[in-house]
Amino acid sequence: MEFPTTLFSSYFGVGPPREEYGSGPAAGWGEHGQVLEDDRGPGRRQKQPVFVPRRGGTDEIWDPAEAAAVPLLPPSAGCWIPSPAPQDILNRNNLYGKFRAGRSEATLDFAKQLGHFFVDHPEDAFGSMGQLLHKNFYLGNSKLKSSARSSTIRMTTLMEDIDRLEARRGCHRQHLASRLRWFSHLCRDWLFEVPLGLLADCLHEELMLEWSNLLFDDSLTGGALAWLPPEDTQSCTGCLVHPGGQAMNHLFFQDVVLEELPRAQGSPAQFELSGRIRQVSAARVDGKDFVGVRSDYHCGVWRVPGRTQTAPTPLQVIRTDVPASCLTVSPHLPGELAVCTHSGTIYLWSIETGLQQLRSDPQTMFFRDHSPWRWSDFTAHPRVLSCADRTGLQCLDARAPRKCHFDLFKVGEEAGCQQGERVVLPMYLGRAHPSQYLVTTQFSVYVLDERLPLVPMLKWSHMMKAPPVFAHLMPGDPGRSHKVVLGASHTQELLLMQYWGKRWSLEGAAGLGLLCTHVPGSSVPISQPSYCWDQLLHWHWVLTGQFLGCVSSGGSQSACQLAGTPQKLHSIAGCLQHLPTQLPHRHHLLQQRLGAPAAGLAATLQTDGTRNSMLVFQLSEAGDVFCQRLIHEAVCPPAPTSKDEAITAPGSSPLFEAPASSPLGLASEEEEEGEEQTFYLPNLEVIINDDEEKYASTPAPLEEAELPQESCAGSQPTPAVPSPAAALRYRRWLRALSRGCRELPQHTWTPSLSQRRLFTRKELEEPTGPSALQRQVRQWLRQVMQEGGRIQHWKPLAFQPPALPQPLEPSGGQDPLSTRLTAAWSGDWEQWWEDRTSFGMAQRQRALRERRRRQKRARGRRSLSASFTSSLTYQSELSELSDSGPSLLSPGGPPLPSQKGSSPARSPPGGSRAASPATDEALLSSQSLRNRGIPKERRKTLRDYLSVWAEGPPDTPDLPASQASCIPSSQSQLSSASQTRRKRPRMGF
Amino acid sequence: MDSFLEQQQRQEEAVTGRSRSGRGAAAGSALQPPLPSLEPLPLQPASSHEHKLNFRKSKEACLSYIQDAMLQKQWKRAAEFLTFYVESLEKDYSREHVGPSEIIWRIGTEVFCHHSHKSMKEFSCFMEQMKTLGVKRYLKVCLEHVFHLLCNGQIDEAYQNLSLAESWRYGEQTAIQDREMKLVQAYRGLLDYYSWSKQKNILLEHGVDGFADLSVEQEMHSCFRKAAMNLKEIIKIPGVWDLFVKCYVDMLEFYGDPNEARQVLNEYAYNSRFPANPNAHVYLYQFLKRQGESKKSLISALKILHDIVPSHELMIEFNTMLQKSKKRKKRRLGLEVIFAALDYAGWKENVKAWSCLARQVKQIVISEKHLDWIKQEWNSRKDWWPAFHFSRYLAKRNWQENKSLSYEKALVAGILLGKDCKYFKYVSHQGCKAQVKRFRMLKKFVNRHNPVYLRISGLSDSSVQP
Repeated sequence: MEFPTTLFSSYFGVGPPREEYGSGPAAGWGEHGQVLEDDRGPGRRQKQPVFVPRRGGTDEIWDPAEAAAVPLLPPSAGCWIPSPAPQDILNRNNLYGKFRAGRSEATLDFAKQLGHFFVDHPEDAFGSMGQLLHKNFYLGNSKLKSSARSSTIRMTTLMEDIDRLEARRGCHRQHLASRLRWFSHLCRDWLFEVPLGLLADCLHEELMLEWSNLLFDDSLTGGALAWLPPEDTQSCTGCLVHPGGQAMNHLFFQDVVLEELPRAQGSPAQFELSGRIRQVSAARVDGKDFVGVRSDYHCGVWRVPGRTQTAPTPLQVIRTDVPASCLTVSPHLPGELAVCTHSGTIYLWSIETGLQQLRSDPQTMFFRDHSPWRWSDFTAHPRVLSCADRTGLQCLDARAPRKCHFDLFKVGEEAGCQQGERVVLPMYLGRAHPSQYLVTTQFSVYVLDERLPLVPMLKWSHMMKAPPVFAHLMPGDPGRSHKVVLGASHTQELLLMQYWGKRWSLEGAAGLGLLCTHVPGSSVPISQPSYCWDQLLHWHWVLTGQFLGCVSSGGSQSACQLAGTPQKLHSIAGCLQHLPTQLPHRHHLLQQRLGAPAAGLAATLQTDGTRNSMLVFQLSEAGDVFCQRLIHEAVCPPAPTSKDEAITAPGSSPLFEAPASSPLGLASEEEEEGEEQTFYLPNLEVIINDDEEKYASTPAPLEEAELPQESCAGSQPTPAVPSPAAALRYRRWLRALSRGCRELPQHTWTPSLSQRRLFTRKELEEPTGPSALQRQVRQWLRQVMQEGGRIQHWKPLAFQPPALPQPLEPSGGQDPLSTRLTAAWSGDWEQWWEDRTSFGMAQRQRALRERRRRQKRARGRRSLSASFTSSLTYQSELSELSDSGPSLLSPGGPPLPSQKGSSPARSPPGGSRAASPATDEALLSSQSLRNRGIPKERRKTLRDYLSVWAEGPPDTPDLPASQASCIPSSQSQLSSASQTRRKRPRMGF
Repeated sequence: MDSFLEQQQRQEEAVTGRSRSGRGAAAGSALQPPLPSLEPLPLQPASSHEHKLNFRKSKEACLSYIQDAMLQKQWKRAAEFLTFYVESLEKDYSREHVGPSEIIWRIGTEVFCHHSHKSMKEFSCFMEQMKTLGVKRYLKVCLEHVFHLLCNGQIDEAYQNLSLAESWRYGEQTAIQDREMKLVQAYRGLLDYYSWSKQKNILLEHGVDGFADLSVEQEMHSCFRKAAMNLKEIIKIPGVWDLFVKCYVDMLEFYGDPNEARQVLNEYAYNSRFPANPNAHVYLYQFLKRQGESKKSLISALKILHDIVPSHELMIEFNTMLQKSKKRKKRRLGLEVIFAALDYAGWKENVKAWSCLARQVKQIVISEKHLDWIKQEWNSRKDWWPAFHFSRYLAKRNWQENKSLSYEKALVAGILLGKDCKYFKYVSHQGCKAQVKRFRMLKKFVNRHNPVYLRISGLSDSSVQP
């Protein structure tokens, strides 16, 4: 454990930070910092000295193997409820301003949130007054009877005013709502269950909390993902510990096989906990892994035996009164952990002896800071713990915590900090060097040595957009750099940095043996380890041209150096562009899901044969675990040898390789693959509106077999497209996601609408001569309304050709598609269309005439809306019930029945919006509903009601074709999708 | 900037042509284009018209493209964007603390360092331009330039640059500039030292032959004067100056001025305004050793090092020194030192340290005197050393990896924890199985002295005689 014989020069000042501003957005570039003479080369003293820089030395080159991060595990079942976004909390106008002007003070949308509370918790807000008054408030439409008028007031106009107020948000003439003003003035004091002022205070407090969490959430510090490496380096099955479930309260221990694309093996061991898992930390002591899990009020520890396939054992749980902010596991002694709480207390938690309080101080250490966040970690001495708050780090001796302590890091001039800089994450780097420490702040990364406290060995501005709250160390073997991956939460940034600093125990043959295998760029086999030092030195000198600080023959150690430049790794959100194209609303949902803040980070180095690769796992708040592989360049020769080819060949993708070991698995895998294709194609086909993209993406499995070379070439710096194996992963993941999300809306969100107010019995009475279809539709409608079901999921039942007008097939026998295709093939397609439209005209005129007649007969007010042209605009507002879809009207579109199910329907823009003959019956049937004297204002209610269904669950596209349709058109699915989009702004959702 | 905008616009068109979301889709054709596709920006890509109106915004966009390219090590792409960014200098009315000139310097340097077609000449040219861009930054840019030259072995050029920088004057110097100037002088001193040492070596080689070159000697002395003057200045200021102190002391020693050297080292080690740098103590100790100082002063120097860094590698030397001492107090200190060193994770597998401890413990046990020393040291460790050092897992691993380590540790474990301790049992069993004589002796020794364990652990108060 040598101390470097010479350190890089630096000034040492004392006091608060002097530097007012950092060096701006590019602060981390272009500096060597200092140089140091490297005097350990043999016989180099006589010639000129050789210098090494503090920053910007040589680094190892790691190339990403994939174009984006790839999902490792299937998405967790059930929908994820996104945490609030700025636009949920902030005032909308302000949000605009904020994005425009850069930084302006955020204004919380207090009124909206209060409104939400009243709507969501009416019982809590108005319970008693509501009960007292409900007889005196009348919400109906009809006029009050004179007898009731003395004790009852009619609230309908007031409600309408409120509705209008919502529509007029942002309008300057708000004084028009005088009635509302008057009402609120009148009853502000007595209407509310909880006094309004008190409620507002609580709400405001909560909003502030949410907002500060949104700006920076320190409860995630440390990350909730841990990788337990395999015990023997040969094995490639490790264990990933991650939270999951809808509330992230399930702890999973998932075995993962590290292959070309890592894959989960077997089903995970699962534990249900009583709170959201905030942090998972792990350390290996005596060949056993200890896993500490922190939720807000509980901390638990598990033991995982070194071998895989053995179940983890829960050991102990503690409960805290104040939320815990830190839990770290000792790398020295089995069953020891450090716990910190928001009250400023730090405990050493031993499984055998229980909790020992080391310090309890609500104040911060070096200067005053309001944050209650505390952190603690272990140091080189098993009895000495570090404790940190936002202002710095101290080390305490657990045997005499009051007396023995020293300052390790201070936010101040000592470390050259800037004003406003705060500690974000401290981490013990014991696996790389027993006395080194990593401290990240929102601006910089520091590497400290506890033997020379306060003076950072290394400082570097990381230039990340959000503070790095996760870090993972991958110690390099002797002769290799240490790698640290830094991760931010909200921006999902991942940054790989490398530094040199000799690994400690380098004695004995074991160390040398290790060393031999890792000479970068060397292909010379070394037979005798004892010669290794000299050879290594020589090679390093020759190969890199620059002496690498970590290798030394004299047993002394060089100072810490930052190696090369940092490298950005793929984030989860980055894979969005490689996923198959989605419908806009699904794209949006997917974007939201993939863009969820990161919640954890883990990484591991893997050596198989000649290849060194690095695997980085990232966990998102939605519970998704994505991984990416980086390949060490020095190992991959530019011209791939036959062996490399074998490695990168398609056959070695997990899909094909896994079965090699078990023939049974092969069959099932392939079966699934086949099944997927058949399943996948039809169900996306129907829905996706731009099929070029889809066709581009779906045949991938075929290409997989045919075109492996170009996509699998691992030597490319950054592949632009995902490999077929990755593409397959994406699609599987996507499918599982949509499948998982579909169930949710059905059983958790069943909106209830009063049917009584929609229609009176009289209104629903049978009209004089309804057609068969009308009758049927009405029956369905009634039935569904009685059941409280949903229209979209209606089976088309008997809705088959009998319901459709026959004239659609004029050329008798031959179906229209083939007619059209034949026509198009022979060149007289236009003629065909002419025929078609003229035929349609006749049909339409007949329908029009019929409708006019009916209108005359109908009672009540009637407008021109029933006339042909206006009916179309109206139709676009109406839901699918009456909708046969504009796609039918397009000149290129073949008539309706032929399209059903099979060919992907596209709706070309524009085109004459003339109703096609096929739709007339349907149009009439729905219009008759409307024309049957349903008053205008009711019609809006009806529209709203129907539009709820039109919104539909997000997964409608995945319905099998047989279910996807709804009355009366067999392919309204398509039109509903396109219509919902157009309609959305008007629906007020 | 406008050309950048056009380029960007063109690119956006190309991108949006493929994916409607406007995100930079990495198209297959974009593997090696002059401008590969772009990652999404934090701000939504606005229309180019808006960009033109808002110069600042496009500047930021450009910068973020550059950053993005650099973080992905696409130096060529970054360089291309940087040529656009240079335009931002033209209308630099910003009052921000970090102007575009500094950004260009930093990014340009980085790109130059990594670009495949780099040449030192172009780099120097670029640096000269950068020096003129900002007066406040002149010295810093000079220093960085010098560092770059030094790392590339161009020592003479570096020296010239340092001399130039030293003679630079511009109005009142700020505190930071003052510090930078001191560093410039110190590095020049350092280079002077190297040329001094070179000439010294020439003289020493040829001096033996009686060939004394007066001019070389004169030059050497002038180098010394220049170097000493500059180095002396900087090591007065609180900081970490290992390199400079070493050089300065080396020269002083050569010229036979040990008092000055001692004063410098004392100051560097014991001045409370300096950070607690272990190397300062190490240098002092090595100096004292070279000077042939008494054991006492050596021990006192190491004692202080022990107090600040109990885990320093010199502790083994310290322990050996103390163990040889005749004074009881010092031997006691020696035991403390080695126990304290072995507390640290970094020493866990250090054979030397374990053999030091084993030797001393064995001595004490055999002599039957001072068992209380061990007892006291053991008291504060008995609750965690067994799990930390003497677990069954470690016994297995040490035996597999390093037999002599496991021998030393087994001896200590046997004495401290008795013959029934897991570590000792495992190792002695394995050793006997492997028929190693040493381990059989070890077993015998521990068995004979087992009662000591009871006394150390305080299990028996009455002293048990063997």
